[in-house]
Amino acid sequence: MENNNPTGTPPDNNLVWAILCTVLCCLPLGIVAIIKSTKVKELWALGDQEGAMKAASDAKKYSIWGAAIGGIFVVLYIIFVVVLGVAGGMSGF
Amino acid sequence: MDSKKVLKITLIVVILGGLFSLYHFFNPATHSYFIPCPFNYLTGYHCPGCGSQRAIHQLLHFNIVAAFRLNPLMVLSLPLIIAGLGVNSWNFIFNTQHRVKLFYSNLFIYGYFGIAVLYWVVRNITVYPFSLLAPTE
Repeated sequence: MENNNPTGTPPDNNLVWAILCTVLCCLPLGIVAIIKSTKVKELWALGDQEGAMKAASDAKKYSIWGAAIGGIFVVLYIIFVVVLGVAGGMSGF
Repeated sequence: MDSKKVLKITLIVVILGGLFSLYHFFNPATHSYFIPCPFNYLTGYHCPGCGSQRAIHQLLHFNIVAAFRLNPLMVLSLPLIIAGLGVNSWNFIFNTQHRVKLFYSNLFIYGYFGIAVLYWVVRNITVYPFSLLAPTE
């Protein structure tokens, strides 16, 4: 923090996705993403632009994974409901 | 503006419009085909997001109190989410590099994280007044 004063805008820390993931997808990965987001500014302030970029993309990755696991659950749930429906229909005969 | 961008924006607007009408016209509390929370489905406990879908339905009908009873954290986070997504969309459309200052404050980030974890635990305590934080059935 002492020598190289970083200039310009830090990379997008994608915190909004982490929050969205936490309150909507309800997955712990959203919380991991929140923590990763704090690293973006810390590394940027230290002049580590590459590290900051990486932390930003990690934060995004965790949010996306959280959403993807949510999506997988949605698909499994639909399959489960369809199978139950089919099984229920078959047992009627 | 290139056509790929226009296509993306159109797609997002269509999806959002679809979701808005879905949550406006159907109440997740009475229609079983809405997706339940995986965490709640598997464990029976509430997560920080439980009640959000029902709360969105109430919000789209301007029942703020009912929405608050379903998931206060989501309702309180909404201005943050709208601000964040608004800035993101602006940056995307106009190729700018604006940032939400608050999102770069570690105090805010750890504070929000702390509240989310605490909220997760507390809303599963079935004793009044903690029980107020659980989604109202």
